[in-house]
Amino acid sequence: MSFRARMMTPLLVVFVAAIGYPLISSFVLSLTNYRITRRDETKFVAFAQYKDVLQDHAYWSALAVTGTFIVFAVALELSIGLMIALALQNQRRFRDFSRSFLLSPMFVTPIAVGLMFRFLLNQQLGAIPAILEKVGITYDFFGPGRAIYSMVIIDVWQWTPFMVLLLLAGLESLSKQPFEAAKVDGASPFYTFRRVTVPMLAPILTVAVLIRSLDASKVFEYVYAITRGGPGTETQTIQYFTYQTGIQFFRLGKASAMSYLLLIMVISLVILLFKRIEKARLAS
Amino acid sequence: MRTMKARKSVMALIAVAGLVLISACSSSSPNASTAGNTKISADTAGTVRVLMEGVPDTDIVKGLLAKFNEKYPKIDVKIEPIAYDQIRDKIVASFQATDPTYDMAIIDNPWMGDFAKAGFLKPLDDLIAGTADYDYNDFSAPLRAIGEVDGKKYGVPFYNYGLGLIYRTDLLASAGITEPKTLDELAAAAKKLNTAARAGIAMQPQRGYKAFEEWGNYLFAAGGSIYGTDGLVKLNTPEAKKALNTYIAMYKSSAPKNSLNWAFDEALRSVSSDKSAMMVSYNWMLPTLNKKDGPAGALAGKFKLATMPGGKQVLGSWDWAIPANSKVSDAAWAFISWITSKEGEAARVSAGGAPARISVLTDPAVSNTGGGAEYYATVGKILGNAEPLCKGANCDEMINAVGTELNAAIAGLKSVDSALAAAEEQANKIQSK
Repeated sequence: MSFRARMMTPLLVVFVAAIGYPLISSFVLSLTNYRITRRDETKFVAFAQYKDVLQDHAYWSALAVTGTFIVFAVALELSIGLMIALALQNQRRFRDFSRSFLLSPMFVTPIAVGLMFRFLLNQQLGAIPAILEKVGITYDFFGPGRAIYSMVIIDVWQWTPFMVLLLLAGLESLSKQPFEAAKVDGASPFYTFRRVTVPMLAPILTVAVLIRSLDASKVFEYVYAITRGGPGTETQTIQYFTYQTGIQFFRLGKASAMSYLLLIMVISLVILLFKRIEKARLAS
Repeated sequence: MRTMKARKSVMALIAVAGLVLISACSSSSPNASTAGNTKISADTAGTVRVLMEGVPDTDIVKGLLAKFNEKYPKIDVKIEPIAYDQIRDKIVASFQATDPTYDMAIIDNPWMGDFAKAGFLKPLDDLIAGTADYDYNDFSAPLRAIGEVDGKKYGVPFYNYGLGLIYRTDLLASAGITEPKTLDELAAAAKKLNTAARAGIAMQPQRGYKAFEEWGNYLFAAGGSIYGTDGLVKLNTPEAKKALNTYIAMYKSSAPKNSLNWAFDEALRSVSSDKSAMMVSYNWMLPTLNKKDGPAGALAGKFKLATMPGGKQVLGSWDWAIPANSKVSDAAWAFISWITSKEGEAARVSAGGAPARISVLTDPAVSNTGGGAEYYATVGKILGNAEPLCKGANCDEMINAVGTELNAAIAGLKSVDSALAAAEEQANKIQSK
């Protein structure tokens, strides 16, 4: 065995044990009708679970809910995050304090954030409904047509700092010369932003959107702590639906098939995105 | 050859003698099933680990352990209180382990069918039948039925989750309303009691279990039932439609604003803080609300419990059970049979626990310490005419599916007809899997 191969061995062992085994094990489960409470009836069913999942309206509905959540949450986080990052880049005093203060929400565990907002937005105990009521506004944060957007706001509160962190690092790494040239040429700040900042920041923006989208697709804690998927199925995200199927209802075979289908979709999207980035890079 | 034969004969004799000895020992075991007159030996020993929900009833059981140990000094019961959401996953893991983490279990009623059919629980028929003075039939019949699966007893009732109507006597009296006896009367009372400062009734339409649990009472009040005579779920019926239409109308006209996500805690808070006049809740909430230093403060003493209009209500329960892989089942049964005996039940209910036996309801020593004779008489009526939301397999999934459809109809996302049709279809599909 070569020196390079030997040096890679520990990593490969950890990779196989930590990622390979669960992946293979869950794939095998997805080919069976395994249920924790019916272990005696377990049999190989090939891709029947996959067929069942693909024909399940609830699965597609949960995917749509998750997609809506990702689009709105990531779009808001990107817009707000970019504005804050631009502001912080020009900040002269108390830089360290304001940056660490702004980043604090992302260090709170998501389940605690879910519980915190469950009480903050609670009609009986919450500070926000109480303040709104004082100015004559009654708003049901978890009512039909609204609950999913309340979840988006919670996610924006927690994860915009992550976007700020990435974009600020990106902004500070950009070469100063194009900005100086634009200034000399008399370009307005908005023109400079549109024609210089955004194109130069594009690779970082893409990576930031990709990371946040993947992370947002895992949304579970807010749903579990606040709405349990309601009203109706309006906040039933794919992770919560898979959790219910596999853990709450014991159908581990079906839940594994659900997870694998999601994995295939996510990996396909990521590959497509990277291919487009590469194509754009080569074209430029 | 001869030596071999002789050796085989000796071996066979030893084996037969051994078997005779083992069977003799087991027949003299304290827990053997004889004609219901076997006393459990006070020398029964072992450490019994049990996972329980972190609720006041668990604290009451903990408080009785010293009394239990006066009778069984060699049994050490170790109770681990935990949040409800974590109980099921932990005990299911223990059920499947060669070396279990828990030797005794408490089982929520939707889990009973699945756990019994999976072989996770030990049948208790012989132990129940063999224990002296146990009087199993003294438990309320609907509660007993929850612990019985396919003709075998897997659980012994621990405490009940029977629902009832809790209302403010002063508010009903000042509005000139008598205790509602029909669903229409309940709706009319809620509407009349509804004011700008106080809702007529605090409801619990949260998606899943809560929506189904509360609405189930309305279904019974409308003359409907969850299962038909053929054993299939029947929710797409005129009675179910009347029940759901009434529920939605009450939610819109008489429930607190923006309470679509409310469950038990929110409804209790609303009633105890004078924000709602009535609620459908667990019968054992009445003594808590009427307690002088309880959550209702100055309103204590103004609450009364009634059966649901029509007389029938939804029932839940926790049952004691012994895992099939428990290595100290003798000690576990010694504890279960003591805590659920008439003596143990009286001590538990006197300390504030929810009753499961009928005889305890008329025990003067109990009614003097709890909610009073009138309260226990109503509890008796509740426990005598009640039914769980689900029977058989896949109950958690079935309840969640029905509760999701009901919540969608209450939220206005679906029509009553389509929600009930979908609920019936899904429930039957889930239970047939």
